[in-house]
Formats: sequence, C-alpha cells, structure tokens
Amino acid sequence: MLLIKNKNLRAFIVRAFPFVLIPAAAILGAVVFDNSRHLIISLAIAVMTLLVFAAGYEKKKVGTWRMVIASVMTALCVFGRFIPLFKPITAITIITGMYIGSETGFLVGAMSALISNIYMGQGPWTAFQMLAWGLIGYIAGIIAEPLKRHRWLLLVYGVVTGIAYSFIMDIWTTLWYSNGFDIGVYLSALVTAIPYTISYAVSNFIFLFFLAKPFGDKLERIRKKYGL
Amino acid sequence: MEILDIKDLSFTYNEAALPALKDISLSVNEGEFVVLCGATGSGKSTLLRLLKPQLSPFGTSTGVISFCGSPISECASAADIGFVMQRPEQQIVTDKVWHELAFGLENMGVKQQDITRRTAEMASYFGIEDKFDKSTAELSGGQKQLINLAAVMVTEPKLLILDEPTAQLDPITASDFINTVKKLNRDLSLTVIIAEHRLEEVIPICDRLVIIEDGRIIASGPPNEVVTRVYDRDDIMCGMPAAARISAYLGRKDCALSVKEGRELVRCYNNDKASSEPEKAARSSEPVLEFRNVYFRYERALPDVLNGLNFSVYRGEIFCILGGNGSGKTTALNAAAGILKPYAGNIYVFGKKLKEYKNQSLYRECLALMPQDIQTVFLRNTVREELKDAGVDPASLPYDLTPLLDMHPYDLSGGEQQLAALAKVLALKPKLLLLDEPTKGLDAASKGRIRTLLRGLADSGITIVAVTHDVEFAAEAADRCAMFFRGEIISTASPEEFFSANSFYTTAASRITRGHFEHAVTARKAAELCLLNGRKAGM
Amino acid sequence: MRGFGDLNPAVIMTYYLSVIGTAMFCMDPVVIALSLVGACALFVTLDKKHSLKLHISFFLLFLVMALINPIWYHNGVTVLFVVNDSPITLEALMYGISASAMIVSVLYRLRTFTMIMTADKLLYVFGRLSPQLSLVLSMALRFVPLIRTQTAKVRSTQKALGIYREDNIADTLKGEMRIFSIIATWALENGIITSDSMEARGYGEHRRTNFSLFRFTRGDAVFLALCLIPAAVFAAAVASGEAAFTFYPAMSGTAVTPLSAAGYSAYGFLSLLPCILEWKEDIRWKYLISRI
Repeated sequence: MLLIKNKNLRAFIVRAFPFVLIPAAAILGAVVFDNSRHLIISLAIAVMTLLVFAAGYEKKKVGTWRMVIASVMTALCVFGRFIPLFKPITAITIITGMYIGSETGFLVGAMSALISNIYMGQGPWTAFQMLAWGLIGYIAGIIAEPLKRHRWLLLVYGVVTGIAYSFIMDIWTTLWYSNGFDIGVYLSALVTAIPYTISYAVSNFIFLFFLAKPFGDKLERIRKKYGL
Repeated sequence: MEILDIKDLSFTYNEAALPALKDISLSVNEGEFVVLCGATGSGKSTLLRLLKPQLSPFGTSTGVISFCGSPISECASAADIGFVMQRPEQQIVTDKVWHELAFGLENMGVKQQDITRRTAEMASYFGIEDKFDKSTAELSGGQKQLINLAAVMVTEPKLLILDEPTAQLDPITASDFINTVKKLNRDLSLTVIIAEHRLEEVIPICDRLVIIEDGRIIASGPPNEVVTRVYDRDDIMCGMPAAARISAYLGRKDCALSVKEGRELVRCYNNDKASSEPEKAARSSEPVLEFRNVYFRYERALPDVLNGLNFSVYRGEIFCILGGNGSGKTTALNAAAGILKPYAGNIYVFGKKLKEYKNQSLYRECLALMPQDIQTVFLRNTVREELKDAGVDPASLPYDLTPLLDMHPYDLSGGEQQLAALAKVLALKPKLLLLDEPTKGLDAASKGRIRTLLRGLADSGITIVAVTHDVEFAAEAADRCAMFFRGEIISTASPEEFFSANSFYTTAASRITRGHFEHAVTARKAAELCLLNGRKAGM
Repeated sequence: MRGFGDLNPAVIMTYYLSVIGTAMFCMDPVVIALSLVGACALFVTLDKKHSLKLHISFFLLFLVMALINPIWYHNGVTVLFVVNDSPITLEALMYGISASAMIVSVLYRLRTFTMIMTADKLLYVFGRLSPQLSLVLSMALRFVPLIRTQTAKVRSTQKALGIYREDNIADTLKGEMRIFSIIATWALENGIITSDSMEARGYGEHRRTNFSLFRFTRGDAVFLALCLIPAAVFAAAVASGEAAFTFYPAMSGTAVTPLSAAGYSAYGFLSLLPCILEWKEDIRWKYLISRI
C-alpha cells in the first residue's frame, strides 16, 4: 500500500507538513483570514494529516494493520472523551505515537478530535484540536526511544503536553474573540482555564502512569502473536 | 472439474517444534460441499487459512496447493476465494451495511454504477434490503454473520471457505445460516469447504466429510462411509448427529445421518417390549432462588421483558432455562444476580430478599454469575494473574489449569476460557451459580467436560441455573428444564418429560424416536431402547 | 422531496464554506444582520425540539461579548460616558455588538451544520479526499459503539463477580483503569480479525474506488449555482470597495451604489437560501397533498 511512491516527496511531506505547513495554515487561518475560514483550514489540515500518514507507509501487510490500529486507538480516544472529568485522549495519542510511530500518532490525535466533535459539536476549534493533539502524538513518536526508556520522562511529557494543550487552545480562544492576538486577553484566558489545565495535566499523568506499560505489552503481544 | 488440489501439504508454525499439518492430500471438485471436522487444535483452521493466500499463517510449508490448475499463491485473487470466520462482529469492517457490502468491490476498483447494481443484487438475494441503510452495530449476531457472507459473495468467489461460522450463533439462527450456505451451493454450484463443531445440521447435507486429527486427515469420503469408519472413536462420535450416534451404538453398517434416516432406523426396533419412564430425581425442597411476580423493563416506553415471572430453583439441582432469542432469559439471570433491578415483584436468594443483601454481600460466598461473553471475565494478561487476583490456588481446582497458567486469557480456546473463568468464579465460593450460555462456541468434547464438571459441583451442593439455547446440552445435563416465552416461564419438567412433550423445540434424538419410544431424548437412551426391544423380524 | 439536509454533502459543505467564509471578510452591520437572520431562521426551521435554552444561552453570550469590547477598548470619537477614568465610546460599543452578533450567527450556523452533517456525510466529503482516510474514519466510527457496549458488559460482569467495588475512590480508579486497559486489549484483538477480514476481501490488492450512496443530481447543481453566483456577486462588491464599513475612529459606510445594493441583496439571498429551499419544499408538499 505504497501511497506516495516518490521517496523525496515522502521525506519532504513527513518533515515539512507537520512542522511548517500545518501550523502555518492554522495561524494563517486565524490571523490573516480574520478569524474566518476555519472549515477550509480544518479541511486543509486533515488533508495534510493524511499526506503525512500516507507518506509513512511502506509495506503492504503493515499497512492494513496500521490502518486498523489507528482506527482502534482513535475509537478509544473518542470513547474516552465521554468519561467525566478525566480524559485519556492525550495519553492514548502519546502512547500511539510512542509505540506505532509519529505519523500514526498524528493521525490518531487529529482524527479523534474530528470524530469526537461529531458528538461534541464541530466548529473552528476542531482545526485547532486536530493540530494540538496531532502534534502531541507526532512529537511522542519522535522522542519514542527516551520515552520508552524513562518512565519519569513520559510522565513529565504527559504533564507538559496537558499544559501545552491548554495554552494552544487558549491561543485559539484569544484569536476567535479579539480579532488578532492580544496578550492581555490571552493571559486572562489562561487564568480562567486553570482548572481545565490542571485536569488535563492530571488526566495525562494518571492515564500514562497506569496505561503506558500495559499498552506497550499489548501491542508487543499482538505483534508477536500475529507475526507482524 | 477439479477446483482445488492439495498434495502432501505439511506446515510448521514459526517457533513451533512440531508441524501443525502433516502430509495433507485432498482434492475438491467444483460444486462440492465439504465438511471438515476435528477437535479444537487439530489443525482445521491452519488448513483453511493456507487455502486463502491473504490469510496464510507465517511458517514453513512443503507440498503443493493448486487452485483451478495453478499454484494457489500465484493465481488466486482475493475475490476468487471467499472466507468467513467465526466471530460475526469482528469481521465487519465499516459502520454501515451498504458500505460493508460494497467494501470488497471497492477493493477491486469496481466502478460506482457496478457497485450499486451488485450490492443491490446481494441485498435482494439475502433478503436484507431493509437493513441496507442500518448501522452494522445495530444488527443481531445472526444478521451480522449473514452480512459477512453477503459481503464475501459480492465479489463472486469460486470457492467459499467457512471457519466455524455458526459457533457464536444460537441453534435456530445457525440452522438458517447453514441453509443459506447450502442454497448458494445448490443455486450457483459454489464449492464450499466448511469447518464446524455443530455437525447435526451440516453432515446430512454435505457431499464429503473430512476428519482431521493432530494435523492429519484420518478419514475422507462420503459422510455415511466416513462416520462408519470412526464408530469406535467416542471422542469423535460425541459430536456427530444423533442418528449417527444411534447407528454407532447399534453397530449398523448403514449409518443414518438425518432425522429422517434415523426414524427409518428406529422403526426397525419398535417392538413395544421395553419402554422408558422419566427418572424422578430425589430433590431437595429447600428453595435457593425464587422469583415471585417479577416485572422488568429496560425503559419506561419499552414493553415488559419480564412479565410476572415466577419460578423456584431448589438446592443442588441443575436448572436449565431454554427459550428463543429475546424471550428474556438473560434478563432474568441478570435480575437474579442483582445487575438489573425489577420494578415490581421480589426475588429471594436463600430465602432472603435480593434488596436486603447490602455492600456486595450477595457476591460473597453466595451467588456468582458467569456471563455469556466469557471474555468479559478476564482483566489481566495471564491466567496466573487472573487466579491470583481472585485468590485461587491452581492446585485446589477440580481440574488442571497448569499448562494454561502463563497464557493470555484471550489466547485460550473457547473450552479453556470457560474453565479458567469458572475457576475465577468458583473462588468466590458461590452456593448458587448462574450460567449464561455455558456451551456457546464449544466443541462436543469440551461440552462433555463442562457437563461432568457441573454435575460434580451440583453433587457437592452447589445449585446451578443455566440459561441455554443448546437443547442437546440441557437434555443431558439438567435435572429440570424450563421453557421461557415472552417474559415468563410457561412449562417446567424433567428433561425427559420436557423434551418429549415438545415436538419442534427439542433434541434430535427425541424427534427420531417420537411415536416409537417415549421419553428417549438422548441418543444413548434411544439406542438403549432399540437394543432392549431388539430388531423386528424381517426388518 | 429533498430538503436542505438531503442535498449532496459536498454541496452542503460548499454552502457553509461560502456563507461563513464571505461574511467573515466583511465587518459590515448590514451583512452581519443578514447573516444572523439567515442562520437563526435555518436553525428554527430545522430544530424540531424548540430548544429555548439554546437561544437564551446564545443571547447571554451575545450580551457579554458585546459589552466586553467597549470596556476593554477605548478607540472611537463619540464618548458616551466615563467609568473609572476610561471613556466608553459608541464606536467600541457598536463594534462589540457587531462582532458578537457575527460570532453568534456563526455559532447558529455551526449548530445546524452539526445537525445536518451526520457522520456518514462527513465521511463522504473526506472520502473524496482519500479512500484510505475514509476507511479509517468509517472503522473508527464502527469501533466507538462496540467499545461502549463491551465496557458496559465488562463492568456488569465484574460487578457480579464482586471484584468491582464502588466504596473506595482509589479502588474504583484502579478498577476503571483495569477495565479500560482490558477493553483496549479486546479492541486490538478485534482489530486483528478485522484486518484479516479486510485482506481476505482484497484490501490493498488494487487501487480502491470509493462507493457512496450520495448522488449529484440536477437539484444539487441548481443549488450549487444559486449558492456560488450570489457569493461571487457579494465578493465582487466587497473587493471593489463599494460595500464597506469602518468603525474607528468614527463609524462610516459607503454610499449605496448599484453594485453595493446588488452585493447586499446577493448576500441576503445566500444567507436565506437553505430556508427558502425548506419552505418551498414544505409548500410544495402541502400543495401536492391537497390535490390528491
């Protein structure tokens, strides 16, 4: 299932899209287009997500299995968003990125936002959530080796991403509210969001604490059992 | 015309010491209906998967498999060989029925208009037009399996392989499914290879029966010949149709397979010399579980599921509740276990109202429920951890789990899962054991093992209530059987009386002996009566 | 009989993109008023539950947002009054009202969008982009209800086994984690069978096509034209600078020209287009029924 055949193009997509083009599109959409074309942006981000994902594929057998695992992890995230108070969505995205790879991590984070918003309500925020969770998963994939080796690092990463997620979403709140970026509004948004920020950080800590190793074992077990 | 030819096939899994298949040779003609049977772990699934290149397991194989004259790995596209597996739920890929039907065609790159036509055709042939727009999650198990079959047939395969397709279905749905497969075989001359535990239905309609044991084919040929050859093998015969088992007991050279042939056979022994009286088991009068006018519904707007339910179960008996899908059997069991709360009426457990059991005391050394979906019992990564959690010493169990201790509960076979789950449940030292479909998905040998085990527990004073679809199991295991219909129990009797009073919802042996012998509801009993009566003169 | 929600999802998507996209380029009280009326009317037409609560909450949101702007910003020349040495200006107040009306109109639009664009429609739109992505979405959508029912089953089994306790927070948390964890195992295990079933049906063998029940009909084409032409007229009016409005330092609009008048009426039509379709179908149905 080689989706993109040209090797250079694949390498370009894997590097340039998640770090340059996707954030650029999101910021452009928020700043230059006057808070506006969020649906186009969310669509554009989804396309680019797909390209990153597609570029990560090489062999056929792994392809189908990765496809399925991405859907399972996405479904677990979406299901988890219905749990009151504690949300495992970031933790599962991190685990996916860590054990399956950056591209899948990105896809799971981004698709979870898109699908759960079918139930929670779509809006311009969808694009930002897709971006925030996608990046969290992608970065977890890049630093997978140290994360797997040191548990404390993983937990720190969980807490940091919990806070970062809140900060990113507040950028969005600010942009949406005050027609351009205003540091005063941003700070007050951060202050009002403190309970949420804490809940994100704590959720990530708890879920990573309890789930990271079992998930690693599970994926390893499946890999062995089915010779993937 | 030969469609499939297997020559000297051997196969060894990676990291396995012994081969899973040894010197398999088999050739199948177009339009043949082949049944593959054998115990769990005999290599049936391995063989079937080797016939489908996309699913072939990893390992080393020798020998040749040819499909339509050329080696299978070269010629067969996924569309040419259809494969249906055991679990209906897990084979479904997409969220809508129409998408599921279209999936195979999408993969072939078929054009939109053609997909429209072919999915419509499939929906009409299988009678699922009204389900076309539905979510796949809304369907029942039997409907899901039918969708899986339709989704495979949509690419017009030349060979259909089914790996225990009815194991998770109830007997009536299972028989419908088998009939659909037979219809495809007859209408389209489709070649079918099916592996099954439930042989009552498939053996009478198949063209060839193949018995596989420890990776070897030990018998292959027309079903009546093959069965005659394994008469002396009790472990194989226990899964055969009732008519065949009666023939085996009587040592008949001409083996009967269907109920119709079985009746012909029994007629020769109908001499009125000996008859059978239903056994009256001495039963305790101490009620353990009582339902008094219990009413339950899931939501206010929905109809009653339990509709003034009344029954009592006495100490030390095995009480089997039978009934159709959606009759409320499982609901009754869940109400007895305190998971569902009835809105009227009372349930008494050991003479005490269910509501008066506070703080989990109901589940401590009192009552335990084994759910239908046995996988929901397990939470840990190995059987050992499971047992440790529950505080069970593996040595104290009435059966040996040692070889399974380090395995993941999900990797066990259905029968082994039942035993492991039962170990966990017995750790609670229940005096009342509630079982929901304890024989679902099990082969005949495992069913026999569960039956013996339950009898042992009952003899030690544990009361057992089992909800089951499996009439054969109920006939052999139960002390009393009850018929559940529309939220109430409409009849209760000993299995002999119960099944000989029913004419449709009854065992095959009872259908065979109806009108000839009274109260013969198991094959063994029927055969004993035949022998006692002796063969009629001239027949 | 095809209402707005029965149109081809791509057409619906295009409509939302053009109606929200164009309005947001133009902070013009007339446009915002038209947008709010259209968005609100469509919501009321489609909403069968008469959710008064939603209207109230949107109105409160509108009030808060409209008042915050003049408190925060003090641009503008017309000072209404002075609070704590800060002037409250008419321009800032009007800007606040316009901006929050815009946000509320977008929120109404998003409400109807969420109502209309059900999962399978969203899937169709994304499936156009890539059959692979569409498949991942479809599978994930199938797994969500499966996971939900399995979790409920595991929970009741464990309860009846007496292992699941609710009396202690630490135990409950640990129990919940264990359940979540085994559900993940279960889902992955199921995933293997699903992936087998996909390969058995030829997944990955050829280039995939993407099948869908949605068609592009003449009605869709007409609607698309009725949506894109006014959007273009309006965009032309805005681009030419003939329909523009400034708040600061003092409020001023441009004089009414033929192009600006055309632009405003085009936007009004665009904003009300789905309602017009719904009403038309409604009247047509009543008329046809009366003739039977």
